[in-house]
Amino acid sequence: MNIWEILFYIFIFPGLTFLLLWTFFVFYFSRKALAYIHKRVGPHYNGPAGSLQTVWDIFKLLTKESITPKSADPYLFNIIPIITPLVAALPVILIPWTPIINHGHAILDTNYGVLGLVVLIGVEPFLLFLTGFGSHNKYSFLGGMRILAQMISMEAPFFLAALSPALLFGTMNLYDIMYSNTWLTTLILLPGAIIFIIAMLGILEQPPFNIPDAEQEIVYGFYTEYAGTNYVLLKFAEFTEILVVSAAAVTLFFGGYRGIFFDSFWWLFFKIVILAIIIVAIRASNPRLRLDQMLKFTWSWLTPLAILNLVWITFAKIYILGV
Amino acid sequence: MLKVLDFFNYARSKSPWIVHFCSGCCSLEMLAAMGPRYDWERYGYIMTPTPRQADIIFITGLVSKKILPALLRTYEQMPEPRYVVAIGACAYDGGPYNDSPSVIKNMTEILPADVFVAGCPPKPEAIIAGLEELKEKIKRGEPSASSQGGLWKQMKF
Amino acid sequence: MEKIKEVLNKFDMEYVEDYKPTWVKAKLKNKDDITKVVEALKEIGVRSCSTVSPTDYPEENRMEINYFLEDIENKKNVWLKVDIERDLEKCEIDSITPILESADYHELESYSTFGVKFKGHPNLRYFLISADYYGKFPFRKDFDWDEHEKNVIENVNKISEEFFEEYEENEETMGHEGSRTVLHWGPTHPASGPIRLKVYTNGENIEKVEPDIGYVWRALEKLAERKDFIGTIVAVERICFMDNTNPMICYAQAVEEIAGKEITPFAKYMRVILGELGRTVSHLISLGGFFGTMGLQTFLMWCLDVREYFLDVLEDYSGARIATACIEPGGVRYPLNDYKAWFAEIDKAIEKWESVKPDIEDIFLKNPLMTVRAKDIGIFTKDDVIDNYLQGPIARASNVKTDVRLDEPYAAYGELKMDYVTCENGDTRDRLYIIYKEINQSIDLMKQAMKKIEEGIEAGEMDPKKDHLVKMPRRMPEGEAVSRVEWARGEMLMHLVTMPKSTNPYRLKLKAPSVNHTRMLEKLLPNHTLSDIPLLYGSMHICQGDLDR
Repeated sequence: MNIWEILFYIFIFPGLTFLLLWTFFVFYFSRKALAYIHKRVGPHYNGPAGSLQTVWDIFKLLTKESITPKSADPYLFNIIPIITPLVAALPVILIPWTPIINHGHAILDTNYGVLGLVVLIGVEPFLLFLTGFGSHNKYSFLGGMRILAQMISMEAPFFLAALSPALLFGTMNLYDIMYSNTWLTTLILLPGAIIFIIAMLGILEQPPFNIPDAEQEIVYGFYTEYAGTNYVLLKFAEFTEILVVSAAAVTLFFGGYRGIFFDSFWWLFFKIVILAIIIVAIRASNPRLRLDQMLKFTWSWLTPLAILNLVWITFAKIYILGV
Repeated sequence: MLKVLDFFNYARSKSPWIVHFCSGCCSLEMLAAMGPRYDWERYGYIMTPTPRQADIIFITGLVSKKILPALLRTYEQMPEPRYVVAIGACAYDGGPYNDSPSVIKNMTEILPADVFVAGCPPKPEAIIAGLEELKEKIKRGEPSASSQGGLWKQMKF
Repeated sequence: MEKIKEVLNKFDMEYVEDYKPTWVKAKLKNKDDITKVVEALKEIGVRSCSTVSPTDYPEENRMEINYFLEDIENKKNVWLKVDIERDLEKCEIDSITPILESADYHELESYSTFGVKFKGHPNLRYFLISADYYGKFPFRKDFDWDEHEKNVIENVNKISEEFFEEYEENEETMGHEGSRTVLHWGPTHPASGPIRLKVYTNGENIEKVEPDIGYVWRALEKLAERKDFIGTIVAVERICFMDNTNPMICYAQAVEEIAGKEITPFAKYMRVILGELGRTVSHLISLGGFFGTMGLQTFLMWCLDVREYFLDVLEDYSGARIATACIEPGGVRYPLNDYKAWFAEIDKAIEKWESVKPDIEDIFLKNPLMTVRAKDIGIFTKDDVIDNYLQGPIARASNVKTDVRLDEPYAAYGELKMDYVTCENGDTRDRLYIIYKEINQSIDLMKQAMKKIEEGIEAGEMDPKKDHLVKMPRRMPEGEAVSRVEWARGEMLMHLVTMPKSTNPYRLKLKAPSVNHTRMLEKLLPNHTLSDIPLLYGSMHICQGDLDR
């Protein structure tokens, strides 16, 4: 790996530029899709079909006054928004994005890919808790506490579901998992995939698990005190996390960039967009759960189901695949 | 340098975010402006739950004395540059409550508004037209009226 | 009725007489008897206090207190009057709150605005009025508004100081240790509207709730005294813009009663149509807002989409979408020049509603997550409803059959086919379903009324171009009237007092349902979690406009 290659990875693909473009896209896409379900139009006049709307939004937020509240912890309050997007972007190097780069492998091609992915995704909510803690605002703090509760209970089924392809194929290398996947194994992994997607909604704070930033209950949760650039950075981290987690779901369960007729990055993108459509559809038709109901759901339903799923995978491995 | 500033002014004018603040009946027509028929998101307007991320605060109709400190405090919490839009006759001179002692009659003196939309309540089209006018003002880079003066600076809140 | 009269006649009364089919009107001679009378009435089933309304007579040096009591189950009402002295020191009477708890907020309101001290009230304090009016009693006839108006900035600073004091007090009593704190839910909260709930929490659990109201207090009752009888419509219709037409019906009926005029059948049917339009428009927001409180905007947007069509109908008739001012004493304000075109517009709106109904039922009313959130929480029993005098959809969701349209038919409701719509359980989900059922009922009533008007016009009995208004006298005779309507969110009661040959109301008491519903929050919210506040609050369909007036 020479220096130019590394710089390309960091700044162009799958680094900064790609993630920024993704942020512009997903912000616009979710607004437009949600508006369609709302029987509205959504952003329309700024740019072709409103496509420049999020670009203007982000440039505007960058030029706004950045406020640090008097009572907030100034270091915690301002440093966490810088660390958060970095941590959120780290798992990018573990995912095989396209057949062109690095012969189809991930940039960091390791045999512990699944483990690294799950751990790096799991760190993120803790940083968001610190933003709430540092704001010294009652609503922010409540949002922070809620995110901790949600993280602890959602990560157990998330881990267990992510383990199911590793168990089935006997490897933790994401490239191998992707290439071992066939139509039959996709079917075998389907229960695991569904559990993974439900847990993913919890990790990403998407409805019906958007409890930590519940607008009607605790204003905006841990975002409440953030303005201007800090807010952009936090939002950037949030959308990056969405990208990473959905890319992980696609790579683990639906064959990553492999597709019909040809293998390409666009297949991966297409699958991620389908996942995003599912997330938006759930968001547009379901109200939010209560915190205690979420805890009850994860611990008495989702986690036991994830364990049962591992049993099913073992069973399928022995009797269906006959390994 | 001037070009860069112009670019940012342009970006600002294209994405005005509005803080949720309901102080009177006109917020009902704001709800209609958000709704499917008028849909102000087409122009880029969006509601934010907290004042920290907002550019515009709406004085929605009447402001009673009791809610005024809360309104000013919300305004103080917004980051610069911030703009004020007053909608409804009450926000100008008390409107139908002009005789009422518990309503602030000189709201635009206390917190000068950049744009005033007339009506009781103004139609959603009028609200959107008023906001479009504010966009032009932001694009020209003019300072907001409330930063220039107003009685709000003398008040405790 | 006879039973109530019998009980009342046991006491020292100036008079006991019949008033309207379901009312008994009585005046008590001695103010010390009030608690005994109310106790005796409670024993025979008059368990709810609708409102307490003082009227100030400075010349005669007396303050007349009107109690409006109700027996919800048997549809009987009692209007009890008693005179007390006007001087601030002697202006006191025994509180009936320990007997009928629904009088609580109404007594506080009378105390804050008129200075009537209620002895024995559990927590007598200033309420509704802002801090600059403390100790000044602004609704008394001799209060000088203009003098008070001179120094606005000082007054506002006084209000701010009250907030600061409260903040410091909380800092001292609650401290920063432990998990107990006070959350101020409003007035700038995204889901609250202009009301402040002081929520005492322990972590996520609510221990105590204290509503702080008055953020949109416009002193409408006083405002009405400064306008003439037509101009008062402006004040009355602004009680709440969500359902704009029904308060005007209520006010117009009171004026007509004093003037002794009867309106035409055409105007009566028009009032039914306009009233039901107002109710539908209001309910559509309530319906969508219920899901909005749980973070789901889709349904609200769909409801707004339908609502626009109903607003088109109102705009077509009156020229305004929301502030219609289309009903005035004597009938309805405008003639119907082309009634077929207007009815076609209504049909279009109804069709729009019918077209989204299947989707609403499938996606939202049967939504499993909504059921998980809203089923079996916040249950009101029949006793809760009667003791706290909950009204309208909230009462009917708990299977209490109360509806002014049927109990005391006004306009043309007596000639239309309708029945009580009720739900069984009285939980939060039922308070959503009842709204949905009532929209369908309203649409049915509109169709019936349109049919009756069409038949009347064809038979030559009605003339839509002339019959809309009966001429009302410019000066009203002396009198007193009580008028009730079924408003979108409950019963609305207006008590109008006029002086001889007057051009403006002497006293207009507006009583709206949200006051009792807000009081109910104190009992409803404790022992729930923070997440339930918006849901339970949204399910009460409270509007701050009619809470503060």
